[in-house]
Amino acid sequence: MKAEAIERPSMENLLDTIAALKDVKQVSQIQIIAEKAERDIKHLLDRLAISDRHLAAANVDLESFSYSVAHDLRSPIRQIAGFSKILDEEYGSLLPEEGQRYLRKISQGARQMGNLVDDLLHLAQIGRQGLALQHVSLNAVVTAALETLQPECTGRSIKWHIDELSTISCDQGLMKQAFVNLLSNALKYTQPRELAVIEVRTTNSSGEHVVFVRDNGVGFDMRFASKLFGVFQRLHPASEFEGSGIGLATVDRIVRKHGGRIWAQAEPNRGATFSFTVAASV
Amino acid sequence: MSEEILHPETEIEILLVEDNPSDAELTVRELRRHKFANHILTLNDGEQALDFIFCRGAYRNRSLSRLPKVVLLDMKLPKIDGLEILRAIKGDPRTRALPVVMMTSSSEKRDLSESYKLGVNAFIQKPVDFDEFRRVIESVGIFWLAVNRAPPPEVFDAG
Repeated sequence: MKAEAIERPSMENLLDTIAALKDVKQVSQIQIIAEKAERDIKHLLDRLAISDRHLAAANVDLESFSYSVAHDLRSPIRQIAGFSKILDEEYGSLLPEEGQRYLRKISQGARQMGNLVDDLLHLAQIGRQGLALQHVSLNAVVTAALETLQPECTGRSIKWHIDELSTISCDQGLMKQAFVNLLSNALKYTQPRELAVIEVRTTNSSGEHVVFVRDNGVGFDMRFASKLFGVFQRLHPASEFEGSGIGLATVDRIVRKHGGRIWAQAEPNRGATFSFTVAASV
Repeated sequence: MSEEILHPETEIEILLVEDNPSDAELTVRELRRHKFANHILTLNDGEQALDFIFCRGAYRNRSLSRLPKVVLLDMKLPKIDGLEILRAIKGDPRTRALPVVMMTSSSEKRDLSESYKLGVNAFIQKPVDFDEFRRVIESVGIFWLAVNRAPPPEVFDAG
C-alpha cells in the first residue's frame, strides 16, 4: 500500500507550513489536528495490512477446501458412472429404448462431473505446488506445446508465426501447460476458418516484457472479457465449442504464480489476442 | 469386508484393502470379470489387513507361506492408513517381498514419494472416469497375476 509514501511528504509540508504561521494559538490547534490525522492514517494502514493477511489466509482455506471437496467427490462420481454402466450392461436389455437412453444420460452426467472435478483438482494443484524455476527458452516451450497439440493440427490448414522469444526464469512444466492451453484455444476457435492463422509474438510495451498469442478465430465480445479467466466460465455455447472453461483459469493461475498478469483483446469474428507479462530475459 | 470364515489353507491370490464398499465392489467386479484370480479377499480396515498378512488375531491359523500374490492397498483407511500398512509389510523381513500396489484417489506428490521411499511396488491413481478405471484395473490384474512372477513361498521364511 503506497498511501503512506504519498501522505508523509504532504504531512511534513503541512507541519512546516503550520510552524511558519505567526498566530501561536492557531498553530498549536492545527498541529494537534494534523498529528491526530497522521495517527489515524497509520491506524488505518495497520488495519489494512491485517485485512490483507486475513484475505490471503481465507484464499488458502478456500483452495484447500475446494481441493478436499473435489478430491472426495471422485469416488462417488466413479460409483455413479460405474454402476449405471454395469446396470446398462447387465440389465439394459430389460429396459425399453427410452430407459436405456436415460441410463446413458446418467453415465454422461457422471462423466462430465468427473471431468469438472479433475479439472478443478488440477487447477488447485497448480496453486499448491512450488515453482521449479529454471532458465528456459520460451521457444523450446512453444515447440514442446505444439508437439503435444499435434493431434489437433492434423488435417487442418494452419499458418504459424512464432517470433524469436527470450529465455526466462520460469517453471518449465507450468509454462508449457500455459502455452498448450492458449494454443489449444487458438486452434479450437479458428476451426471455422479455412486457413487458421496463429501467432506467438513478443513485445516490450512500457518496459514490460510481453508475450501474446493471437488467432484469426471467432473471437468474443469484449463486454464479457472480465469473465474470461474465471473458473468454468465460457463465452461460447457448448453446442458450438466444447470445453469445460478451465483452460484460461489455469493459464491465469500459472501466469500470476510467476508474478505476471494476463489480459485479452478481441472482437466477435475478428480473432483474439491473449497477452501476458513475463519476467525480463535472463 | 469378508465375513466368511476363511479356511486357513485357502489360497488368496489378491488381497484388496479398501474401506469403501462400493469402490471395493467395482474393483472386485473388474478383477473377476477377467478371471484373474479364484480367490479375492476384501478387507476394509488396516488392522484386519495386518492381522491377515502377519497371520495373527482372527487369522492366526494361516501361515505366512500362503501370502497373496499381490496386495491392492488403498491409501485412505480408518484406524491404520495405507502408508502405515505399507511400512509394516516392507519393514518386516518375513513379508518384505510381498508385492504391494498402492491405489489411491489422491494425486499428491507427497503420497507418491512417501510410498516409494517405503518400498511400494507400484502406485496407481484411480481414474474418476469409469472406462479408464476398468482399463487400469485390467492392466493391474494382467501384470501382477499373469505377467509378473510372484515371489516363491520360501522368501517369506523368517530364516
